[in-house]
Amino acid sequence: MNFPKTFDVIVVGGGHAGTEAALASARAGCNTLLLSHNIETLGQMSCNPSIGGIGKGHLVKELDALGGAMAAATDEGGIQFRILNSSKGHAVRATRAQADRMLYKQAIRSRLENQPNLWLFQQAVDDLLLEQDKVVGVITQLGLRFNAKSVVLTTGTFLSGLIHVGQANYAAGRAGDPPSVSLAHRLREMNLPVGRLKTGTPPRIDGRTINYSVMQEQPGDDPVPVFSFIGNVAQHPKQLPCWITETSRRTHDIIRGGLDRSPLFTGVIEGVGPRYCPSIEDKITRFADKDSHQIFLEPEGLTTHEVYPNGISTSLPFDVQWELVRSIKGLENAHILRPGYAIEYDYFNPIGLKNSLETKAIKSLFFAGQINGTTGYEEAAAQGLLAGLNAALQVREQDAWCPRRDEAYLGVLVDDLITSGVTEPYRMFTSRAEYRLQLREDNADLRLTEIGRKLGVVDDIRWAAFDKKREAIALEEQRLRQTWVNPRILSNEDATRVLGKPIEREYSFYELLRRPDVNYTSLMSLPGAGVAVEDEKVAEQVEITAKYQGYIDRQRDEIDRAQQYETLNLPDVMNYSEVPGLSKEVQQKLNQFKPQTVAQAARISGVTPAAISLLLVHLKRGFRDNVAQQIVP
Amino acid sequence: MLPNIDTIAAVATAQGRGGVGVIRVSGSKSLAIAETILGKTPKPRHAYYTEFVDEQGQAIDQGLVIYFVAPHSYTGEDVVELQGHGGSAVLQLLLQRCLSLGARLAEPGEFTRRAYLNDKMDLAQAEGVADLIEATTTQAARSAMRSLHGDFSTVINELVAGLINLRMLVEAMLDFPEEDIDSIDVEKRNRQLMQIQSKLKQTLATAKQGSLLREGAYVALVGQPNVGKSSLLNCLAGEQVALVSDVPGTTRDVIRKEIQINGIPLHIMDTAGLRASEDVIEKMGIALTHQTVLKADLIIVLRSAKQVESPEDIAILAALPAEIPRLHVCNKVDLMETQPLPSAKEIYVSAKTGVGIQALRDKLLQSIGWTNIESGIFMARERHLLALQQADISLNNAAEHLNFPELFAEELRLAQVALKSITGQFSADDLLGEIFSRFCIGK
Repeated sequence: MNFPKTFDVIVVGGGHAGTEAALASARAGCNTLLLSHNIETLGQMSCNPSIGGIGKGHLVKELDALGGAMAAATDEGGIQFRILNSSKGHAVRATRAQADRMLYKQAIRSRLENQPNLWLFQQAVDDLLLEQDKVVGVITQLGLRFNAKSVVLTTGTFLSGLIHVGQANYAAGRAGDPPSVSLAHRLREMNLPVGRLKTGTPPRIDGRTINYSVMQEQPGDDPVPVFSFIGNVAQHPKQLPCWITETSRRTHDIIRGGLDRSPLFTGVIEGVGPRYCPSIEDKITRFADKDSHQIFLEPEGLTTHEVYPNGISTSLPFDVQWELVRSIKGLENAHILRPGYAIEYDYFNPIGLKNSLETKAIKSLFFAGQINGTTGYEEAAAQGLLAGLNAALQVREQDAWCPRRDEAYLGVLVDDLITSGVTEPYRMFTSRAEYRLQLREDNADLRLTEIGRKLGVVDDIRWAAFDKKREAIALEEQRLRQTWVNPRILSNEDATRVLGKPIEREYSFYELLRRPDVNYTSLMSLPGAGVAVEDEKVAEQVEITAKYQGYIDRQRDEIDRAQQYETLNLPDVMNYSEVPGLSKEVQQKLNQFKPQTVAQAARISGVTPAAISLLLVHLKRGFRDNVAQQIVP
Repeated sequence: MLPNIDTIAAVATAQGRGGVGVIRVSGSKSLAIAETILGKTPKPRHAYYTEFVDEQGQAIDQGLVIYFVAPHSYTGEDVVELQGHGGSAVLQLLLQRCLSLGARLAEPGEFTRRAYLNDKMDLAQAEGVADLIEATTTQAARSAMRSLHGDFSTVINELVAGLINLRMLVEAMLDFPEEDIDSIDVEKRNRQLMQIQSKLKQTLATAKQGSLLREGAYVALVGQPNVGKSSLLNCLAGEQVALVSDVPGTTRDVIRKEIQINGIPLHIMDTAGLRASEDVIEKMGIALTHQTVLKADLIIVLRSAKQVESPEDIAILAALPAEIPRLHVCNKVDLMETQPLPSAKEIYVSAKTGVGIQALRDKLLQSIGWTNIESGIFMARERHLLALQQADISLNNAAEHLNFPELFAEELRLAQVALKSITGQFSADDLLGEIFSRFCIGK
């Protein structure tokens, strides 16, 4: 039957990408349906019980600045919070939290249920409804037909998912859930670049059987950090520590002894796994000279004894898993609650996507999350929000929002995906962002909240809080620029205490704050400094901005230089085989990637600077009048 | 391979009469053209001695022919080289024959451009070729040859490799604080930075020599009209290269001349008008002259031995920019009754008799930074120097930010951006690849 209600946007999948997509679309005012095979698993953390980290925390803060759910849900479910790199500069600091799985899931579920314009429905999706090359809805397992103007697919590891434990394997979306087989088959029939990836997860351990007394305790930070810009510490539940132990030589011997039955090393697994999150058998093989690897024991929640041993992801046979776990210090008597496993799944190479995350092959169909070859909750959620928002914007007949590389990690993520494609699961790192110094966690709201407000995804509460903060920052910056300190007034003693040396001329307080070793609080103790702002976040932001200003101004010049190519569009219809002089390889690459701009083309690997100059020459010759006009106005 | 691109031809040897003249043909029709002209199919990379025939089957010339099959040729396309006799009429006939068979006359530099576009050489190498062709002195030619062979690229690539290694350590520390990777040892980091810095400075010095060979130096000649500037210039230039040109400058008061000393081009700005004046027009001229002098690498202050320094001279000198090095020269020593003793402050010469001229030449080259160490010099362009200087600045900044790892990393990134503008691209993913291959990451 045709479902009686029609929707603007349908989101398929209820993981981190799907929930953010559905929430964003609904916030943007579109009638949205979230379809999941099981409503109980909405917002499920399938792998490790933690959110954030270097690069990832940056994404979560950006999501939050745009009204997303992840940071706020972590504040409600987080049982340990830390700021990583806290001894280093703000640009590379990142928040990381352990979350109680149940509390996190509840926080997401309650947001979904209370979101206006959003409807939930429990059914697996088997097929897409197409009209020519446009998607118009989905068909579920029961044969229900749902009509919509846009569809967002966030299928995670479910497409033809195959779980491996040793020589045994079976079809599943993750342990305990069925895979999406029919949908995977249908998608494989469409004109989309399909591939196979692999990821893995460690065996889980019963905390009652762990001897913590021989391990190193890793407590959370004090004071406890907060994830959301509008969150507070009072939202946090009880806090727990993590524990650190390590593998031994005996562990490595046990693993080596089981390699002949490893699906990874016997060629059973074809999918490519991530190099930065390798299985333990991969680690001891590739870094054979290391006698020991660190393992972090992470509590899964306040109401469970289950513990996640981070660092021993494995698909070795269960008997080997049992032995290897028990060879680790403090785990000699450990009981395994769930076996570790590897999972292979279909993904679609994101070179088939536009920077709005809409597929190039099928109109109004958007992909987000692991289906695009990424790994990580944060990467998935970020794409989800972007895809949901852009699906909604399309319904509203507005231009898609495609953040630039210098605006957000979101922009870096999408641009990397569509210009480089994916050959192994993609994870965010700060070193991927050339404009790292301005893409910080602390200023994610200043970078994005106003944009989010204009796009309709930021609510009144967040907007009011942001507006107040932004104004306070501007006022304080202005005050510091206009307040001067004179060498005749400032005693040498005060100057040495705060600035390290006397001043030789008159300075504004803002100039002094720019010095690397000067901090706001001590600066405010100088005579004539006036009244410091009360809000720590405001003071912090004024200080950070002052410190990085020189660098950010320089990066601004670099960005401006690159900008001309960012706005130089390449038509979809362009046939690169007709561009004289391009090598066969470059022609193939460009025809395959179909970049939207010259800048994107330049970032595709294998496209040489020479090829770009040929392309520019070709464009200058005016093969298409409209393109020629853009270049020669 | 460029299957769609037309075939080009040109006389590859210099204009004028020579013993041998070469026509180079490049493009997909090269072989067909050769077959028609030779009456047979040449095997790739074999030399044939044969007749070149016209439409009527009459011999135009006799000579050698070599066929290079793509991509194993200079341009990366099919290339045929016809080596005939050097007379220009004969060569023109042969070229016309190629053009009538479907080739088009190549634009200047087009063979090299195609080689670059076909990735047969990188930008630095392509520029090396241009320099080789332009080189007017043997020394410049040898340096250009080195750039062509990729010596310059090799040095830059070595620098970049060192930088990548250092960046890898720093980025691993920033992106993986929780991993038990051997956290970068501060001393090791500082040592690596210093090594790269010193190598870069060395490269910069060598490149500056190359730049001197290519671009030469600007020298302002200051002195009263009657001290013998023109004769000194002619004398300096020597016999091997007389005055190359004599171009009036942009103002009536600046005359530019170009001479060469030991192959180094010197652009001499004769600033006759630098003197106090009440005349309005002349004052404007003098202002412009001052601007010109600002660009000079060296100022020669010339006086005649017969004159003592006048207050006017002193005023002129005081008005010149103090940061530009000066070389004081005293001319017409032949007119003096007693020869002056050698002085560190001033060089005594006679343009008329040649006394002291060789010493002046040596001193001039030394003053503009020419070390005359020919080995290892490569032809550097202005843009290479700027890139190297930019990288140098960034590394110096990095050294000042040892306690701020993210700023340290940013300066390294900027240094690499500068260096890669000389040779090529490098992406963040390459950097991560280095990290993963080196460290066991995977919490």
